[in-house]
Amino acid sequence: MKSDRGDIELAGVCKSFDGVTNVVDGVNLRIADGAYCCFIGPSGCGKTTILRMIAGHEDPTAGEIVIGGQNVVGLAPVQRRTAMMFQSYALFPHLTVRENIAFALRVRGMSKADRLRAADAMIEKVRLTQFADRLPAQLSGGQQQRVALARAAITEPRVLLLDEPLSALDEQLRVQMRQELRRMQQDLGITFVHVTHTQLEAIALADLVVVMEQGRIKQAGAAREVYAHPHDRYVAEFMGGQNVLSGRVEKVNGVSFTLAQAAPSGIEVPLQARSTVSVGDKVDIAVRRDDVVLVRSGKELPPGCTNSLPSRVLAIEYQGYFVKVMLDTVPDDAFVAYVPEKTFFADPFTVGDVVMATWATGSALPLA
Amino acid sequence: MQPGPSSAPSLAQTTSRANLAGWLYVSPLVLVLVPFFVAPILVVLAASFFATDGFGGLTPGFTLASYVEVLHSALTLKLYLATIKFTVLTWVFTLIIGFFVAYFLVFHVRNQLLAIGLFLLCTVPFWTSNIIRMISWIPLLGKEGLINQALLGAGVIRQPLEVLLFSDLAVVIAHVHQLTIFMIVPIFNSMARIDKKLIEAAIDAGASRFDIMRLIVVPMSKSGIALGTIFVVSIVMGDFFVVKVMSGGGSASVVSAFYEDVGVLQYPTAAASAVLLTLVLVAIVSLILRTVDIRHEITR
Amino acid sequence: MSAVLADMPETVAPATTKAIAPSKGGRPWTFYVLATLFALYVLALYGPMFCIYILSFQDIRGGLVFPMKGQSLHWFIDLFTQVRTGDVKGSFDRSIKLAVIVTIITVVVSFLAGLGFRRRFRGDTVVFYTMIGSLVAPGLVLGLGTGLLFQALGLNASWYTSALGAQLSWTLPFGVLVMFAVMSRFNHVWEEAAYDLGASRWQSIRLVMIPVLAPGLVAVALFGFTLSYDEFARSLQTAGSLNTLPLEIWSMTLNVTSPSLYALGTVTTIVSFIVIGASLGSIVLIQKKRGSNAKG
Repeated sequence: MKSDRGDIELAGVCKSFDGVTNVVDGVNLRIADGAYCCFIGPSGCGKTTILRMIAGHEDPTAGEIVIGGQNVVGLAPVQRRTAMMFQSYALFPHLTVRENIAFALRVRGMSKADRLRAADAMIEKVRLTQFADRLPAQLSGGQQQRVALARAAITEPRVLLLDEPLSALDEQLRVQMRQELRRMQQDLGITFVHVTHTQLEAIALADLVVVMEQGRIKQAGAAREVYAHPHDRYVAEFMGGQNVLSGRVEKVNGVSFTLAQAAPSGIEVPLQARSTVSVGDKVDIAVRRDDVVLVRSGKELPPGCTNSLPSRVLAIEYQGYFVKVMLDTVPDDAFVAYVPEKTFFADPFTVGDVVMATWATGSALPLA
Repeated sequence: MQPGPSSAPSLAQTTSRANLAGWLYVSPLVLVLVPFFVAPILVVLAASFFATDGFGGLTPGFTLASYVEVLHSALTLKLYLATIKFTVLTWVFTLIIGFFVAYFLVFHVRNQLLAIGLFLLCTVPFWTSNIIRMISWIPLLGKEGLINQALLGAGVIRQPLEVLLFSDLAVVIAHVHQLTIFMIVPIFNSMARIDKKLIEAAIDAGASRFDIMRLIVVPMSKSGIALGTIFVVSIVMGDFFVVKVMSGGGSASVVSAFYEDVGVLQYPTAAASAVLLTLVLVAIVSLILRTVDIRHEITR
Repeated sequence: MSAVLADMPETVAPATTKAIAPSKGGRPWTFYVLATLFALYVLALYGPMFCIYILSFQDIRGGLVFPMKGQSLHWFIDLFTQVRTGDVKGSFDRSIKLAVIVTIITVVVSFLAGLGFRRRFRGDTVVFYTMIGSLVAPGLVLGLGTGLLFQALGLNASWYTSALGAQLSWTLPFGVLVMFAVMSRFNHVWEEAAYDLGASRWQSIRLVMIPVLAPGLVAVALFGFTLSYDEFARSLQTAGSLNTLPLEIWSMTLNVTSPSLYALGTVTTIVSFIVIGASLGSIVLIQKKRGSNAKG
């Protein structure tokens, strides 16, 4: 047995199915051993193709895939010691839960008694003992998912690859299974690579979130990093929770710059380490929706807030612990504020009200 | 990073590997089709150009004499007309019966298990002997058969009807009896795939029963109809047995004439007429295939 | 034809979203019209067959038409003992043997071809349309071509060589078409999952594909058997000196004018029903076996 480490390195990985367009286009990424990594992006962004290339179900057109220090391109899944949990699970319909889980051991030639014993131990681990003799069709979605997980995990892979594992479940179950996935990952202590298109799922689970667009990585980093400090407009909009404004730089001083806007005095944005701007540049900035404070027009702005956008309330959606207020600001048509429930109902707005949207000046974020 | 020059051969390699694998899988099929379909057809084609001594001996050569003979014979036209008559009549009846039986099973029987049960009831005879099913009309249609007995008994007729058995009517009856199933099955399949919600949406939109039939059911069953038509037309046009037995020798079709020719060892003329028939059949089938991609249809 | 039997698995557990009659409201008048049509069709389908089954049980005075003259098994005994009626026993024997061989070859070859046709490959259309050609070509013409070919090559035509091949040119296209329909229900991800779990190509076929597709394979076998057992046009010029059963029936229809013919019809139908019953039974059994652990 070679390395037991499950760290993954993708170097210049490209994939083209037709020889013309690259579905995956030069991806470089390092995933640490034992990490929980989520690939996220809209459908067709190449995330599933990357997963399948790591799994050994597709060969990259160019580039290297290194697992535990070993280039695995061209190797079969077994040789890579990866295991995949398929979207909608692909459980064998003619085999019982026990037989499904024991399948990998069966094809490895393990004796019947041994493999059933091993399967039963695994079944216990995923708490399916009473369903061991059922067929997949007789299980609920959540149970099927646990079978799929157990079936993939029984070979003690060093990397587990999950293709949209929660998409077949309803909302409540999804939250529950999320925790179960995380617990399982910690139990097994192996690398999980998980593909999803749900932002919430990615940031709830992952140590490493990889945002993709059209075959390229737009940003990779810790969940909080990607959510709170998106690199660019695409990531900010895809991860959600941000308002993105754009404009030209009007003036720059040492610590901040001003964005020309239809707002009375432009928008002041703090200069951050990574942003270098000069007058005349077109720049995008992000303002978190939950940082936005709404003030009735004519009232004082709260301390620390220097920018304000005059706007009209376009729609209001009650979301439980907060209220989503959609605004029609003058320069950009979509500007959203997440107002805490209690704050909102202390002085509720109605559609058509004219308000000033403002935020603590320091919280705005220039984007690349 | 663009797919470098190294990537092109790998793509070509995978496709050539896929080609090889595909051919390996179908090679047993090809190994049967080549000697038992392609070669015999070529043999018949070759024979149609040979000369004959009239006693079954063939002289290799190239002559169009057989074609000239076949095309000049007044009999040929008669045979084709008869064959087309049987084909069209059988097609019309099988289509009408098949379409409505399938329509009834899919859209009128509410219990799905019952619908499938009734469907199987229609298919069971397919698995039994065609010849036996054909001769089973003798005790019904014969001069002293049940139908004549009943009609005589009821006083409708005074003389037994002779037209019932050993006539063109009997030929069509036997064909329809055997071949309606070839219409029912594909049409049933296409109809069963029509989403019930479409019908409900059409009703919501104010469509009448006739509108639904005309605008939804018929267009969406087209592929089933095409598939059924291929089966029915090719079987009737290739038939000689039903014509021979059920017409009592009174009628002939292209293939039954072919059979007679072979019987008297007139191989080249027989072959020439077979080649012509095959061409007609190929033309009809490819015309139908242009309207429906059956491979896609079946794998869907 | 094809998808019918592939549909059979669903007969056991109907969990489809297919369009069956809108289930609201009273029966429309068309229901009664079409129900009548359906009843007449079924009557016409089965009526004549039952006539000959009944007439085959007449006694020695029996004729080809009603009324029934006595009751006995005379014509069945006559069938298997009289020289006049030809070699029924021998041809029966040959037909069953031939049908079994054809069935086995049809299942194996159709399964492999079904696997091959799942992916496009260069020349697949040519193979496909050759197959369709083999299906629609006039059987008698093909049979003659095959007979002439064997003659030209100096081979003897016989039921287990030329007739076997001629029948396969008929049963294989059917088998492959049915296989298409069967395969379309096979989720290729199962195969990928098997590969992911370390199964070899052969293991994934043996442990996943064949068991999952078993009902469909039984359907292909049923097609192979009955199409061969009943095949006539293609065998006529290729069977050589020894007849198969349909050829025997053919010569009887020309010579024999006694209820022996009907008795033969009854016997072949019984065989057909045994085969259908066995096939349906085994499909149901496979489904049952899968569902038997349900209560666990």
